[in-house]
Amino acid sequence: MLKRDRWLTWIFVTPAVLLVAVMMYYPMIGTVIESLYSTSFINPTPKFVGLAVYQKIFGSADFGQIVWNSCVWTLAVVALQNVFGFLSALLLNQKLPGQGLMRSLILLPWVLPGVVAAILWRFMYDPQLGLINSFLISAGFGDQGLAWLADSSTAMAAAVIAAVWKGFPFCTIVYLAALQNVEEEQMEAARIDGAGAIRRLWHIVLPSMKEVIVINFILTTILTFNYFDMIWVLTRGGPQNATHIFPTKIYELGFGQFRFGEAAGYGVVSIVILALLITLYFLAQGSGRKAAS
Amino acid sequence: MKKLLLAATMFAGLTPAAFAQETITLKFWDNQQTESGLSQYQQEAVKRFEAENPGIKIEVTTIPYPEFQQRLLTAVQGGNAPDVSTVDQIWQGAFAEAGAIADLDAQAKAAGISAEGFFKGAWDSANYNGKLYGIPFNVDVWQFSFLNKALFKEAGIDPASISTFEGLKAAAEKLTDPAKGKYGVGLFGHKGEDTVAVLDSFIFSNGGKVLDENGKCALTSPEAVGALEYLQTLVPFAPKGILNASSGDMRELFLNGSLAVEFWPALEQPTLQKSKIDWDFENGTAPAGKTPVGTYGGWNLVVYKSSPHQDAAWKFIQFLTREDVNGAVVDLVPANVKAAKTFLEANRKGADKIMTHLQNAQPRPLSARYLEVSDIQVTLAQDVYSGANAKEAAAKACAAIDGLN
Amino acid sequence: MSVAPSKTSRAGLMLLQFGLCVVILLPFFWMVSVSLKPASEPFAIPARLWPQNPTLENYVTAFRPEFRTYFVNSVVVSLSTVVITVTLALFAAYSFTRTQMRAISVLMLLVIVAQMFPASAIIIPIYKMMKAANLLNTYASLILAYVTVTLPVAIWMLRGFLARLPVALEEAAAIDGAGPFKIFFLIILPLCKPGIVATAVFVLIVTWQEFLFALSFTSTKDMRTLPVGMNDFIGQYGIRYGELMASSVLISVPVIAIFFLLQRQFVAGLTAGAVKG
Repeated sequence: MLKRDRWLTWIFVTPAVLLVAVMMYYPMIGTVIESLYSTSFINPTPKFVGLAVYQKIFGSADFGQIVWNSCVWTLAVVALQNVFGFLSALLLNQKLPGQGLMRSLILLPWVLPGVVAAILWRFMYDPQLGLINSFLISAGFGDQGLAWLADSSTAMAAAVIAAVWKGFPFCTIVYLAALQNVEEEQMEAARIDGAGAIRRLWHIVLPSMKEVIVINFILTTILTFNYFDMIWVLTRGGPQNATHIFPTKIYELGFGQFRFGEAAGYGVVSIVILALLITLYFLAQGSGRKAAS
Repeated sequence: MKKLLLAATMFAGLTPAAFAQETITLKFWDNQQTESGLSQYQQEAVKRFEAENPGIKIEVTTIPYPEFQQRLLTAVQGGNAPDVSTVDQIWQGAFAEAGAIADLDAQAKAAGISAEGFFKGAWDSANYNGKLYGIPFNVDVWQFSFLNKALFKEAGIDPASISTFEGLKAAAEKLTDPAKGKYGVGLFGHKGEDTVAVLDSFIFSNGGKVLDENGKCALTSPEAVGALEYLQTLVPFAPKGILNASSGDMRELFLNGSLAVEFWPALEQPTLQKSKIDWDFENGTAPAGKTPVGTYGGWNLVVYKSSPHQDAAWKFIQFLTREDVNGAVVDLVPANVKAAKTFLEANRKGADKIMTHLQNAQPRPLSARYLEVSDIQVTLAQDVYSGANAKEAAAKACAAIDGLN
Repeated sequence: MSVAPSKTSRAGLMLLQFGLCVVILLPFFWMVSVSLKPASEPFAIPARLWPQNPTLENYVTAFRPEFRTYFVNSVVVSLSTVVITVTLALFAAYSFTRTQMRAISVLMLLVIVAQMFPASAIIIPIYKMMKAANLLNTYASLILAYVTVTLPVAIWMLRGFLARLPVALEEAAAIDGAGPFKIFFLIILPLCKPGIVATAVFVLIVTWQEFLFALSFTSTKDMRTLPVGMNDFIGQYGIRYGELMASSVLISVPVIAIFFLLQRQFVAGLTAGAVKG
C-alpha cells in the first residue's frame, strides 16, 4: 500500500492491535493493579495495600536468589544456544553427504513438546536409572555417578544443558538461513587474497550476520526468560531454590499456594527485569557499533 | 432463514424441559487415579445413582492429579466451579476459608451422618473452625514400609525389626551396597507433598507435632528435632539424589530389586501384586516401645457454594459415602469405616494391620495456610537431608511458619 | 554461501556431523527405547539402551480413543491458529513496513513488546474474560489465546520479510491502475510465500506444544489437547513411563513429518526474513 492509503493502513493494523490490547495489555494492567491489593484465595475481598507486596517481595529471602537464577539461566541458555546453533549452522552449511537429512533431523528437539522433552531429560538425569550416569559409570567416571538435579551445585547446569538441547536447533536453522545470504563474491575475493577460514568468518561472515544475531539473541532471551515447562518438570525450582526462576515462582505462588497478589507482583517485577536485560543488549550493541566506527 | 433457525434452536432447547420434569445436571470433578480401572466402577455407581434419583444427571470429569489443584482453583476464581468435587484434605481449609464451599453441618445432622462412621483423622480433616465442610471420601496413610523379602532373607534380617527406629537403621545399613547398586531405604525429598507426609510421620511417631494447639510451630520440640536427626542418619543408606527424588522414583528402584525398603501408602499394593517382587510390609517406624503414627492422606467430597443444586449435590455426596457404595468408587481406602473393612478384606494384604495404622494416624495441620506450611516443611526436609543442623533447620522453619501473615 | 571443503578437513567435518547427530538423537533413541519396554519389565541398572523384550503394547495403550480425541483437538486448534495468526500478521506487518505514520509505529512496538509478558501472570484475568464471554472449554478460547500470543512474533518475522520487497513494484502497479487490494493479493502475497511458510511452521510448532493455556481453558476430556493429555500417564505418585514415551513419539511424529515436507521453504523463508529483522 502506498502512502496515500492511510485508511487502509489502519484497517490492516486494527485486528492485530485490538487483539493484543484486549488479550494481553488489559490482563497485564489487571495484574499490575492486582499487585497493589492484598488478594489471595482465602482473602477474596481485595484490600488496597499500595506497594506492600513489593516491599514483601524485595525483602524476602528468596528474592535475590530468584533474580540471580533467572539471569544465570537466561544468559547461559541464550549464549550456549546461539554459539552451538551458530557452529552447527556452519557445519551444516558445508557440502557433506547426508546433509539434507541432517538439516531435518536437527529440528527434532525443537519440535518435541516442551513437557515431553522435560520428562525425558528428568529421566536421563535420574541418578540410578538414567542414561547419563550409566554412560559415565561405564566410561570409568566413578562407580555411582552424580545426582545431577538433586545437588544445588549441578542442578542449574543440568537444567541449562537440557534447555540448550531443546532450543539450539532453532538458532541453527536461523543462522543456516542467514548464511545463505553471505555474499559469494566477497568470500571468493577474500579466499583469493589468501584469507584463512577464521579470518573470513570474523571479517565477512559475522559482520554480515550481525543483525540476525542480535535479533535472535533478543528472541531467545524472551523465550528463555519465560520458559516454564523445563524447570518445573525437572526440579520445580529445587533443590533448595537452586533452580527457582521467575516463571516457576509465579506459578508456585499463584497456583500452588493461592497467593495471587504476590504472584502478580512477581509477574510485574519479572517484566521489568526482562526489559532491563534486553536494554543491556541494545546498549552493548550500540557501544559495539561506536567502537567499530 | 435466520429466524427459522433461531426458532428451531429455541424449540429444541425447550422440549426436554417441557416433557420430562426438571432434569438437573450435576458437575462432579474427581481426581483421576491412573493406576487402576476405577473409572469403570465409578461410571457404574453413577448409573446406579441416576436410577435411584430420576431427574438428576451426573456429569463426571476426572482430572489427573498434577493438574487438579490448578483446575479447581482457576474454576473457583473464574466463577466456574463444579457442583461437587473431591478435594485433597490439605486444600480443604483454604477452600472453606475462601468461602468457596458450603457448610454441611445442618444437612449432616439431619441425615444422621456423624464422626462415628468415619476414621477420626478423616473426619477431623473435613472440619474447619468447628464446622463441617465436607464428607470424607477416601483415606490412606503415609507410610507403610514395603520391604523386599528376598533381600531381607539374603542379609539374614527379620523384617519385623524395621518397625523400630533402631531396627530400621541397622537393617538399612546392612542392606546397602552402592557399588552393587543396592540401597537400604528409599528416602525422597523433592518438592512434593509426599516428602512432607513422610517427614511428618517420623515426627508424629517420635511424639512430635507440626503445629501446637495454638497453631504455633512445634517443629523445634525435642521430639520433632529428634525425628529429623534420626532421618539424617538414614541418608547414607538411601539412593543418591534424595533432594530431587519422589516416591514414584523410589518405586521404580523397589520394583527392579535395588531397594530393600520403600515408603508408600497402602495404595501401592496393587502395583506390587502385579510385579515379580516378593514383598511384605510393616506399619511405619517408631522408637522402640512406641507405636508408629502415620500421616493421614485422602480426599473429601465438597459442595460448592456457587452451585444452584445444593440439595441434589448433597444427595450425591451421601450416596458416594454410603457403606455399600464407598468401597466401589475409591482406590485408596473408603473413609467410611465399615466400607473400609470390607474393602481391605477384599483388596489388600494384611487388612487388620492396615486398619490399625489407619486408626492411629494423624492428619496434617488443618490450616487455611497449609500449602504454605507444607512448602516450608519441604525446605526443612531438604535442609535436613542435605546435612544441615536439624535444630537450626527446624528453628528456621518455625520462624517462617510463625511469620506467615 | 555454501562451501565444498577439502578432502582432509572433510573427514574431520564428517566426524563433527556425526557427533552432532548423536547429541541430537540419543535422547530420542532412549525415548523410543523406553516406549518399547514392556510395562512388566522393571528398569535396569545401569540403564539399558535397548529393552530386553521390545513390545508395541505401550503404543496400543497409548493409541486409545482419548488420544484420538486429543489429536483431533490439537489439529483443529493448531491449524486454525496458524491460519488466523498468519493472516492477521501479514496485514499488520504489511502496513507497518509501508507507512511513515508515527502512531502506527508506536502501536507496532507495543504489540512486539507484549511478547515479554509471562503467561502465568496474566492467565487468571484472561480466564475470567473467557468465562465472561462464555468461551471456556471451547476451541475458540484456545485459538483466541494462541493467536494472541503468537501474533507478535509472527508480525516480527513477516515484517523483516516484507521490508525487503521493493516499494517500486507497488508504485509501478499503482500507476498501472491497480487498487491497494489488488496489489496486496496479486503482487505482495505471492512474493511472500517463503516468509509465510516459515512463519506458519513457527506458529504451528509453538502452538502444537502449548500447555498452560490448554490446561486452564479446557475442563472436559473431550476438549483437551495432546500436551495436556500427556498428564493422563502421570499419577499422584508415579509416572507410567512406557505409555508416556509411546504417546510422546506419537505426538511428535506429525510435526516432524510436516517439517520434513516444508523444510526447504522454512529455511528459505527464514533466510529472507531474518536478514532485515
